[in-house]
Amino acid sequence: MLLRNTYNEFIKIIAKPRSYIGLGVLTALIFVILFAMKADGTSFVSFVTASFEQTLSFNGNILNGNLIAFIILQMLIVHIPLLVALVTGDLISGEAAMGTIRMLATKPISRTNIVLSKFIAGAVYTLILTLWLAFLALVVVKWMFGTGDLIVLNSSGLIILQEQDIMWRYLCSFFVAYLALLTVSSLSICLSAFAENSIGPIVSTMGIIILFTIIGSMDVTVFDSIKKFLFTTHMASWRSFFEDPVKMKNIWESIVILVVHNILLVAIAIIKFNKKDITS
Amino acid sequence: MRYLFFSLVVFYSLSANSQTADQIIAQLVGKINLVKDYSVKANIKADIPMIKVLPVNATIYFKQKDKFKVVSKGIAILPKQGFTDVSSFLSNKNTYVAVDGGLKALNGVQTHVVTVIPTVDNSDIVLAKLWIDTKNKVILKTDLTTRGSGSVTMNYVYGTQLAFGLPDQITFTVDIKKFKMPKSISSDINNSEKAKKSKSKIGTITIKLSGYLVNKGISDEFFKKKN
Repeated sequence: MLLRNTYNEFIKIIAKPRSYIGLGVLTALIFVILFAMKADGTSFVSFVTASFEQTLSFNGNILNGNLIAFIILQMLIVHIPLLVALVTGDLISGEAAMGTIRMLATKPISRTNIVLSKFIAGAVYTLILTLWLAFLALVVVKWMFGTGDLIVLNSSGLIILQEQDIMWRYLCSFFVAYLALLTVSSLSICLSAFAENSIGPIVSTMGIIILFTIIGSMDVTVFDSIKKFLFTTHMASWRSFFEDPVKMKNIWESIVILVVHNILLVAIAIIKFNKKDITS
Repeated sequence: MRYLFFSLVVFYSLSANSQTADQIIAQLVGKINLVKDYSVKANIKADIPMIKVLPVNATIYFKQKDKFKVVSKGIAILPKQGFTDVSSFLSNKNTYVAVDGGLKALNGVQTHVVTVIPTVDNSDIVLAKLWIDTKNKVILKTDLTTRGSGSVTMNYVYGTQLAFGLPDQITFTVDIKKFKMPKSISSDINNSEKAKKSKSKIGTITIKLSGYLVNKGISDEFFKKKN
């Protein structure tokens, strides 16, 4: 019953025009980035290497598909949560607003399974979005710009990763990025269980992400103790795969925190939905 | 009379030394000019503060007087200056004066130290100090001070191509300015580590060169083409 209802939930998602906004916007954004890189990518690269260029010269194909895939992932991972929340924030509250939730609750399926099927359908949608991003970034971009070593600038300096040592890092990064986006999906579904309209959970999800991101980026000691528990802090942990050596301890910590967030948020949504007095 | 004699001795010895330095440079330039062009396989190993990079294989192409190209599948880091600058600078003898710095042993080899000072205002090279093996007519070490890129020291090791004055290994020691990585540039806002400043100021780039193809002819167009 859970799987059948999940299938129904997924049909509902793909039947909504807004579900394609995410894919469309994602495609458009990536092609805008590609156009910018094709037109003026070298100045972007010199921005990355500027600190060193007075003394050193960097030879070889720096502006390659691997670098652009990294730039895309870095730029878009901040914005994709909005595209996820746009669909998943509507999954429960949208039905409450339309009045179909009462009919759904009369089906021979527990309320827990209703929430779980919505969570799974949301997870599948998030996976499609992530896979589409991966396809565009790793296949289309590499086809257009070729491949090569990856130059990454982080707080500890400049790291140049060899071409043959990059693909596994991207695959692991997309997995962790997916886990982060799944947390956004769970958060919006959880908020959706509390709301009676579509807009509220979507806006609230983005509000929480913005708030947590600002707290995470402020160098104020008073927030240091809570920073590591904010899921937004771990949304960028995919970058750790591009360190040398890879900080596996930090990555595992991020994975655990994101998984715990997912479990807690879905649990809260189940508890709330089970206690909900459905009157619409 | 004694002062006049002393002055004459000093003048004579300075002019004699200067002439010697010019002769040494002329012999060196003569050897440099034996090579019209070359290509060589290079293994580039960079040990630079705040940069992590594995050794890279590349092919280096050079054509007189200053055409230079590095073709590499990976990203190869080279010093901004020093690879061809000294030879092209020395080739134009109207743009510098050479001052003899005397004899000095370098790694067991007797060398002639020559300091080269540019006489033109627009030269990027401020000072070049050369340790020249006069027997083989090759440079063993160069201390290069430039306007734009600070100081670069180059140590040369010769082997198979000594006859052409082409080294088998060059070690560049570059003066790295203090790099600071602000969080805004690294875009690593979730990294709790504070932006680091490099402590070490010295970077080393070692280039092992092998498989020289000398004077085989390389077209000018090749240097214009992108990799």
